[in-house]
Amino acid sequence: MNRLLITLGIIAVVFVVAPLVIVVPMSFSNARSLQFPPPGYWLGYYQAYFTDMGWLRPTFNSIIIAAGTTVLTMILVVPATFALVRHRFAGKSFADVMLLMPLAVPHIVMAIGYYSYLGKLGLVQTHLGVILAHTCLSVPIAFLVLSANLKGFDRTLERAAISLGASPVRTFIHVTLPILKPGLIISALFAFIQSFDETVVAIFISGRDAATLPRKMFDSIRQEADPVIAVVSTLLFVLVLIGIVAPPLWKAIRVRMAAIKTAPALSTIENRP
Amino acid sequence: MTSYLQLNGISKIYGDFTALSKVDLGVEKGEFVTFLGPSGSGKTTTLMIIAGFEKATTGDVLVDGQSIAAMAPHERNIGIVFQNYGLFPHKTARENVYFPLQMRDQAKVQGLRKASEMLDLVGLKDLGDRYPKEMSGGQQQRVALARALVFEPSLLLLDEPLGALDKNLREQMQIEIKRIQRTLGVTTIFVTHDQTEAMSMSDRIVVFEAGRIQQVATPLDIYHRPEARFVAGFIGESNLIDAVVLDPATRTAASTALGVVEFAPTEKAIQGKPVTLMIRPEHIRLSRKPIDGRRNARMKVETIVNYGDNALVIGNVGGQSMRVRVLGADVVIIKEGDECSISWLPESVYLIAG
Repeated sequence: MNRLLITLGIIAVVFVVAPLVIVVPMSFSNARSLQFPPPGYWLGYYQAYFTDMGWLRPTFNSIIIAAGTTVLTMILVVPATFALVRHRFAGKSFADVMLLMPLAVPHIVMAIGYYSYLGKLGLVQTHLGVILAHTCLSVPIAFLVLSANLKGFDRTLERAAISLGASPVRTFIHVTLPILKPGLIISALFAFIQSFDETVVAIFISGRDAATLPRKMFDSIRQEADPVIAVVSTLLFVLVLIGIVAPPLWKAIRVRMAAIKTAPALSTIENRP
Repeated sequence: MTSYLQLNGISKIYGDFTALSKVDLGVEKGEFVTFLGPSGSGKTTTLMIIAGFEKATTGDVLVDGQSIAAMAPHERNIGIVFQNYGLFPHKTARENVYFPLQMRDQAKVQGLRKASEMLDLVGLKDLGDRYPKEMSGGQQQRVALARALVFEPSLLLLDEPLGALDKNLREQMQIEIKRIQRTLGVTTIFVTHDQTEAMSMSDRIVVFEAGRIQQVATPLDIYHRPEARFVAGFIGESNLIDAVVLDPATRTAASTALGVVEFAPTEKAIQGKPVTLMIRPEHIRLSRKPIDGRRNARMKVETIVNYGDNALVIGNVGGQSMRVRVLGADVVIIKEGDECSISWLPESVYLIAG
């Protein structure tokens, strides 16, 4: 029974992880199109990725758009979250629903809407257009993350700060903001990833000039199944892996460093005659 | 003549609910005053009005002759220790204590030195570099106290600060808070619903009930000379007996439970007036047979609650429940269900008007 469960577990893990792992060897393949297992290995497609503006430009576009989306999202979400979590006002529940609406509407529906709406404004195929559209999609996610954090925030801390002589502004800077920092970072990260990852809306409105990386990958796989896709996928995979592994690793290093710093002090005490 | 802290006719009305009605109070400089009352009695509301976090509907708050009612809370220079301490989790103990000095734009080196000195005073000499989550409840409490005192506030407000501590630690902190308060001579208001805390720490106690002050007096006066039935019932254990004054001259009152009862000298007795008679359980003696020279009554013992050094005997006298405090050694002579005699002196019967 136990062995059966373990086997089932392993099968499930392999099934989920396999597609992730397959792209890695494919990125080193020397085949002309995506093929597994690869007939031979070389780094040619990596060279192709890092030298071909057809790939690099969408990469930069994606970074610019994701960064712009993150900034705009946070500018909107931080005040909105404070208002919705901490205050009561007429139309509050309506505002709540409207803020979360983009989560419920299918992206393809949103995409068609943006296509005609941004077209009228002359923003189709511009970075700004994609940033605006992506912001609408990022806002509910960033809001959900941040509001969960803010709801758990102990307001006694703000009262304490005020009683100790901090004006409301200084209370926000010295107490509220630093304590909410992890929540803000995660919320911004989600906004960034949401934009970097988004394909449907990007296909409709990013056009040639503002084409994002997912759009370029989609075009590429439809037209030629270029193995550079595997390279991009591998690079993204590694990036995400670093993103997951780095924070705990950094923390462990810091703890170790702190231990080293205090250790000599302890040894001098012990060495005293 | 006004006191150092003066509350003049403070009322707080939420819609059609009156949380506080016409509270007047004077607190002298350096005094330790406790606001005592059940939850919802208005004690915390009064504290928050002094701190500036609540706005009084009517009335004025003066410190040292100056009205502070129009000042923002961060301009009031009042130190507060909150129930859950409110320590900043992202700052060390020393940085927490330095915070009010930082907000007053004191130089960092000097401010941090002052913070360290204050941590010394509260007994946390070597723990300045710890973060709050690395400290015990009692230590956090001390940091909060140091932080509320380091900027030499005009008032120190303590909002049920011992509620989260266990019993032994609580007693230790009571002594500690009292010591620090005396050392610095800071005018202190302490809010609690715990009467033993109020009795052991205060110069004066203010008893709140239903948004009104019932009595302001020293702990001993509150205990021995309560002015209202609520105060007598809330503080300490007591036997409260409904009676009607028969004759102020002979100091007698009639009760259904104990018959005619003689009471201690008072000016409040008016013939025919319904009153409450209070006898503290430790002023009643329990014996097998009636004792000469004392007022005696027969009691049927119902429950014995043993505390080791003493015991509380709860019995029934003519339909009235009576509590008697006896020494632990004496409790062996009686059992639940026994009939016995209880007796007291007329001087132990305190008359409360109304």
